[in-house]
Amino acid sequence: MILTKNIVDGRGLGKSFGALIALAPLDLAIAPGERVALAGPSGSGKTTLLYILAGLLPPDRGELFLDSQPVARLQPGRALSEAVGLVQQQLGLVPQLPVVQNVLAGRLGQWGLLRSLTSLFSARERDTALKALSRLGIADKINERTSQLSGGEQQRVAIARLMVQAPKIVLADEPVSSLDPARAEEILKLLTGLTDETGGAMVASLHAPDLIREHFSRVIGLRQGVLQFDIPARELTPPVLDALYDLDRNS
Amino acid sequence: MTRPRLTFARASLYGFLALAVASWVYILAGADSGLEDLFSGRAWSNAASFLRQLLGLDAGLSGGGRPAFLDLGRWAETGKLAYKTLLMSVLAISFAGLGVLVTFLPAARNVSNGELGGRPSVGLGVLYHVLRLVFAFTRAVPELVWAMVIVFFLSPGVLPGAIALGLHNYGIVGKLSAEVVENMDPGPARALRSAGAGNLQMLAYGIIPQAMPQFLTYLLYRWEVVIRTTVVVGFVSAGGLGREFRLNLSFFQYTDVALIILWYLILVVAVDLLSALLRRMVRTG
Amino acid sequence: MIWIGTPKASGLARVLETRRLLTLVLAGALVWSLAGAGWGGGIVHTGGGNSLKGFLLALFPPEVSPGFLNLAFAASWQTIVHAVAGITLAIVVGLPLGVIASGSLGNPGRSRLAIAAGVRLLLAFMRSIHELVWAVLFVAAFGLSSLTVVLAIAIPYAGILGRIYSELLNDVPERPLDGLRSSGASPVRVLLYGRMPMALTDMLSYSFYRFECAIRAAAIMSFVGIRGLGFEIQLSLNDLRFDEVWTLLLFLFALVLLVDYGSAKVRRSLGS
Repeated sequence: MILTKNIVDGRGLGKSFGALIALAPLDLAIAPGERVALAGPSGSGKTTLLYILAGLLPPDRGELFLDSQPVARLQPGRALSEAVGLVQQQLGLVPQLPVVQNVLAGRLGQWGLLRSLTSLFSARERDTALKALSRLGIADKINERTSQLSGGEQQRVAIARLMVQAPKIVLADEPVSSLDPARAEEILKLLTGLTDETGGAMVASLHAPDLIREHFSRVIGLRQGVLQFDIPARELTPPVLDALYDLDRNS
Repeated sequence: MTRPRLTFARASLYGFLALAVASWVYILAGADSGLEDLFSGRAWSNAASFLRQLLGLDAGLSGGGRPAFLDLGRWAETGKLAYKTLLMSVLAISFAGLGVLVTFLPAARNVSNGELGGRPSVGLGVLYHVLRLVFAFTRAVPELVWAMVIVFFLSPGVLPGAIALGLHNYGIVGKLSAEVVENMDPGPARALRSAGAGNLQMLAYGIIPQAMPQFLTYLLYRWEVVIRTTVVVGFVSAGGLGREFRLNLSFFQYTDVALIILWYLILVVAVDLLSALLRRMVRTG
Repeated sequence: MIWIGTPKASGLARVLETRRLLTLVLAGALVWSLAGAGWGGGIVHTGGGNSLKGFLLALFPPEVSPGFLNLAFAASWQTIVHAVAGITLAIVVGLPLGVIASGSLGNPGRSRLAIAAGVRLLLAFMRSIHELVWAVLFVAAFGLSSLTVVLAIAIPYAGILGRIYSELLNDVPERPLDGLRSSGASPVRVLLYGRMPMALTDMLSYSFYRFECAIRAAAIMSFVGIRGLGFEIQLSLNDLRFDEVWTLLLFLFALVLLVDYGSAKVRRSLGS
């Protein structure tokens, strides 16, 4: 049992899918309060790493400790959802459910089966959902069918779900890639606000260097599954980023 | 010029054509072919006479009096039977629907082998195969055959017919619904897992809401088929219009037969319209 | 961070209503049908429970004597023959009707649309009546023969196939067809070289499904007296030989599975 001050402690984490090495073994230590950006071209392993950190994908090798506990011990349900939460790139919302149900899904780790089922018919803890949605400015959509909302609104619903879940470690896969600068600012402020409240840590994958420098304390560069650098965010200069995204002329 | 390859598709096309030719030869050359009747005047005059009696133009043969479809009282009586037929059809798809709701989840490959995050077990694996077999078998047997078997255990009425129809359609909708789950986007299910959902919570929040619209649509489409078959099943199970149809035919009450056909068409049109309306509500609601 | 109060219900009410209304209607229909089912004393025959048990047990084992198996094969052949004849006639009739109903043949204009609409109505009528009802009527009119039974299957099936064919032909993407049209192809050419090849796999797939249904239809034609699996099932039921019934059911099952399997293979072979 390793006692560490770190909120995320990963050693030798690796994952392959058949012959494809999605993530070459890497070590990752994140302290409470840190905000880590993941950069890299598509296919570099960012999503794989995020899923491993979320406890959704077991690594082929290496160990992972979240909040000082081995990730395997945190399954299932409640403990894992308190430790870590992920906003996927495709958001992972259930299109047919009303917004309030998708938001309250963040409480599923805490609710028993009976409460979960009855909530489907008449939302329990509606106020919790309303509060989160108000902070995101879409409280009026609370009863609408999720599929009726615009892309940007749906993303805020996904973040509201995360708010309701209030995990210590906030993970986000490309949360701002398709947003204009003003909206991206807004979303990142909300996400970092979340971690400030819980005193936890945040890991998000994104590309824009100025957003990285402004909102994150640290940036990790990945390329084709291999760690390229792990530096403080202010050291992210254009040449460093260009080298990361450079087209590999040999492949 | 290159010769076309003998693919399986091509080979089976030739095979099917050969089968088709063989079938037609067998039928036309057979004893009961009906081929001679096609050319004999008698069959056509019989048919013409039948049609005239259906339309009530041959007053003598249909027992005198007005044709049944001009008699309001007969309309009302037959209407009661049509009501029973409608009820039987709704009961049938209710049975099918309830049965599917209870069993379609373990019949989906990605639920039973834990792809959606649950723990796979040997029991679930066996259950998957058993359910798929049950779907296939109940689907393969025609509703009428089910009805013939069921009237051995249940007294004639609306119920045995509804069960027979329900069984057959259970297999059809069951297979389709399981396939909906298998083709489902796993994203929402995974997201629910990361929010801490256990197996049952994930099913309730992630899978069932996504599967419901398609499930209801299939069920409503089948209702359109079922209403047409309900009359046929009634031949054997004695509920609704079917029995009356059969009796009237055997007693040569042809204008009554025509009346029943009219009610039948009314039911068919009504159910087609209702089904379309409900399906639209499922799509938007 | 402004706290917004209870949201007003304008357009939301409409969505909510549809969902609530739908749930109410479906639940109501369920309750209504269950209430009217005629439960009550006597739904089960005296001895019905035993009959059911006997029936289920007779599956282990079903009747597999060579004599009976021969009978089962012969009955299967009868059924197949009528099903094949029925489906081929249905395709031969349904395909041209479907093409006309799709409105893709002939010169654009009101007459074409009117004819298409008329044909669609005809197809709808053909398929509103169940094949067995057609059979019963035809037998009353013409007497029993293989041809009347084949016709009884072919008419509703042509109606169904025609409608599906016309929908599939119309669902074809327009862009490639514009290419053909701009290079001067006549409507017939556009149809033959453009629409049909693109819709072919789907049309074939659905036709296979209908063939599988035709096998069931041919089996139940026993009700009007034609021989086949249904006829033998009726005989065995009357003799209370449930083991024979199971054998015949398994033959029917095998037939259906065969067509299913063959159709999947053909589709894969075409797709590759």
